[in-house]
Amino acid sequence: MTEQAAADVEREEIEKLLPWYVTGTLDCAERSRVESYLARSADACAQLGLIQAERVQTVLANEALSLPSAGSLDRLMASLPTARPSLSRRVTGGSLFERVATAPTARGVRWAALTTAGVVVVLAAAITCMLFRHSGSYQTAIGQSRSDGVSALIAFVDEARAPAIAQLLVEFDASIVDGPKPGGVYKIRLRSVGQSQSEKDALLRRLGERRDTVRVVLPSRD
Amino acid sequence: MNRAADEASLIERIAARDMTALRALLARRQVRVFRYILRLVGNAAVAEELTNEVFLEVWRHAGNFDGRGSATSWLLSIAHHRAVSSLRKRCEESWDQEAADALHDMGDNPEVAAQKADKGAIMRRCLDALSPMHKGIIDLVYYHDMSISEASDVLQIPKNTVKTRMFHARKRLSELLKEAGIDRGWP
Repeated sequence: MTEQAAADVEREEIEKLLPWYVTGTLDCAERSRVESYLARSADACAQLGLIQAERVQTVLANEALSLPSAGSLDRLMASLPTARPSLSRRVTGGSLFERVATAPTARGVRWAALTTAGVVVVLAAAITCMLFRHSGSYQTAIGQSRSDGVSALIAFVDEARAPAIAQLLVEFDASIVDGPKPGGVYKIRLRSVGQSQSEKDALLRRLGERRDTVRVVLPSRD
Repeated sequence: MNRAADEASLIERIAARDMTALRALLARRQVRVFRYILRLVGNAAVAEELTNEVFLEVWRHAGNFDGRGSATSWLLSIAHHRAVSSLRKRCEESWDQEAADALHDMGDNPEVAAQKADKGAIMRRCLDALSPMHKGIIDLVYYHDMSISEASDVLQIPKNTVKTRMFHARKRLSELLKEAGIDRGWP
């Protein structure tokens, strides 16, 4: 292999590792190898910015997706009592004699069925009590609607300082409710906003125009 | 107890038919699993059904979890398998064509014209236009923070293939960006 070919192979190997270098999930040996290469390659360094941008937009694209509906969880929980557990562990363990000796009898099966039915009734009553205790109607936490403002996903520019961010949040009557998520994305809640969609859109547009502090802002679904 | 050990403990309790443990796992992971599937299949109703199937499978087969990888990797591995099985009904090439058509339609309305000024919005459209295979690896690495080894567990492919797939996904993203008017100078 010529020197140039060897250099090309090394460059490609390092480029393949860079996404994990940016997300901080490389092992020690690979991280050292990448850092050693970055110290002598401006091209590779420039890629870190591209990867960070890809990461931020991937996080935003995912966070902007809708959430599963409350009805979906209902359907899952309703289907559980009829879902049969895997027998793989019990069947594979022990000798044939042990399995025959411990197999349930017809009478044992009847008692087990009665006991299981009793447990299911008690569990159903307990779950129903838990679900209705606070709200009087069933609603999953992630499906709750919020009328007091609007949620948004926001990423700040690298140069933004904490005082500038704090001032911006005060100015927009907003608070950070979650984050940082991967890529430095935060979820914020803006309280002072009208109920109409156009008012909410206008507020987020004004926030996005603050380019000195805000890199990107998007409406959040929850 | 760290999060990985905590979630492994939840799976153990689920194997012992503890419904509270399943609810806890759902509360933590349902949204991530749903979003991973939704990004691959592109249909919320289908994604909901597949997400439920994932957790039903966890309920039925929690005893099969061997604890060698993380519980999250195991969950996403089931999710990936379910999503890919669903996608097999559609031909990969026709999907790519649909995505390419969607990209080329970008200049047709005022909203899209405004988006053109926003590089971030264009990149998100290009990310959406990637094939499910490329979108899957990008999401696992950038959104789910999976290491090479964890992504290998989820996708059931060798670690070198994980690295190569991510490399090609990024190259394809650059090509789509270039078609949309953004030349990143790479590759």
